[in-house]
Amino acid sequence: MSSAYHKAESSEYPPLAIESVSKHFGGITAVDDVSLSADVSEVVGVIGPNGSGKSTLFSLAAGGQKPDAGKIRLQGIDVTGWPTWKIARTGISRTFQIPSLFLNMSVRDNLLAAAVEGDWKRARERMESTLEMLEISHVIDNLTSELSGGQQKLVEFGRVCVRDPKVILLDEVTAGVHPNIRQIILDAIQQLRKTGITFLVIEHDMEMVKEICDRLVVMDQGKVVAEGDFETIASDSNVQQAYLGRT
Amino acid sequence: MASKPDLTPKLIVRSLLIGAMVIALVALPAAIDPYTLRIATGALMWAGLACAWNIVGGYAGYISFGHSAFFGIGAYTTAILMQSDVGASFFVTLLPAIILSMAVAVAIGGPTMRLRGAYFAIATWAFAEMLLQLVTVLDFTGGTSGLSLPAYLNEFFFYYTMLIASAASFIGVWVLIERSRFGFRIKALRDDEPAAESLGIRTNLVKVQSFALSAAITALFGSIYAYWTTYIDPYSVMGPEITDQMVVMVLLGGLGTVWGPALGGVLLWITNRYIWSTFGDTVIYLPILGVIIALVVLFLPNGLISLIMGRQRGKELISRILGKL
Repeated sequence: MSSAYHKAESSEYPPLAIESVSKHFGGITAVDDVSLSADVSEVVGVIGPNGSGKSTLFSLAAGGQKPDAGKIRLQGIDVTGWPTWKIARTGISRTFQIPSLFLNMSVRDNLLAAAVEGDWKRARERMESTLEMLEISHVIDNLTSELSGGQQKLVEFGRVCVRDPKVILLDEVTAGVHPNIRQIILDAIQQLRKTGITFLVIEHDMEMVKEICDRLVVMDQGKVVAEGDFETIASDSNVQQAYLGRT
Repeated sequence: MASKPDLTPKLIVRSLLIGAMVIALVALPAAIDPYTLRIATGALMWAGLACAWNIVGGYAGYISFGHSAFFGIGAYTTAILMQSDVGASFFVTLLPAIILSMAVAVAIGGPTMRLRGAYFAIATWAFAEMLLQLVTVLDFTGGTSGLSLPAYLNEFFFYYTMLIASAASFIGVWVLIERSRFGFRIKALRDDEPAAESLGIRTNLVKVQSFALSAAITALFGSIYAYWTTYIDPYSVMGPEITDQMVVMVLLGGLGTVWGPALGGVLLWITNRYIWSTFGDTVIYLPILGVIIALVVLFLPNGLISLIMGRQRGKELISRILGKL
């Protein structure tokens, strides 16, 4: 990792800063001049109706897509246009809307694969503590293709935890899971944020958003239409319009 | 990562079986006639070739139809360097053969491994065909007449050379892919490339590394084969059926497994020789290969090795890899 990274890491830059980012697909504007930043240990919820550009914004931040305009900064480093693997190595980690697991590998190997570009000597230790935190140690030798949908969500979440990232992007990580699993994930987020990890969370589950997010960013048609704490957002007319339809 | 395997009964049995297999392989030449020894030498070569193809096809999940080119590069490098005007000894030719094949693999794999699925398969096939046509018209490769090598008629030498090369390839692959970070990287990109990249894995680099490693092993066997047969021509060392056999051997034995390709290689080669000795030629062998592919894909997606090793993966792996075609 570059010395610039270490210099930036120790400075006052926010872990993640998205600056006036836009992305177009043909004639469609998926993300339109969006700015957003998240502080150390902060949990920022990104909400909005389907098709509002939330997942695209995550892809732009994590390097899956390149923005047409704007900058992405991690710890102050301009990573705009960097390949995904390089951005990941600067300390960002993400889950996908549909779990992207290594289906021919065991749970153990999925988690170890997440550590290959990091502190390999501590990989096994980190893998075991993550499995314990997520209460899935009993399926360690199972292939991930054999797991339930909820367990697959846990494994994918575990995979990002093993990497020891600075910023974690969670894309609907509790969608469709059993309440017990949902609670395990919430507890893990609370536990990890205490260690200094920053979270950006896309969610439709408003109870969860209310419970864990310090701040919400509401997107609609690619734009940020509101920003603030849960109470402020809940009473915002723009948000009501976005969710309930325009009148 | 410090992790020492526990000495479980399963591990002890497995170690004893491996030990017995090693002793049997070393002692085999003393117990069989020269004709059978030649078949055994071929079986070792095909086991090693299947193991090599499995690196890129089974572990990285990229179906290469161009491996005959690397076999040919190895064979021709050795043959050219052993011509009387150069006069290199056999062992001296191995390193240039390996380096050249790796360089070509990097040059070809760099751009083509950014392609996915059928596009990569077509690109590698086209490359192999191009090289095949090239060696038929070049003077220094002997054109369609091929090249003769200095004869060394010692079947024991070639048996043990193949055995060492196969064992080295097998152990190398086992260590690199089953016991190292490289293995996690390559298997992760096979299963889900965007997810692997999101974990910091530089997938394009890993793919090219795996292609180069696979090419190097294939070229090594090409070199030994050329010296063994003492005569090569374009189709004997670069013909498309060389790649076809590697693919079918891996599918039959077990795609993306450690032992499967070796098992598939040995069984198919023995079948090939049996058909040849029974019917006088191997024309019927090609339809048999086709039937085997169909049967394996339909009824034994994890290959024969799954019947022995037990672990079932479902149809995930084979459908993921072949589904790209």
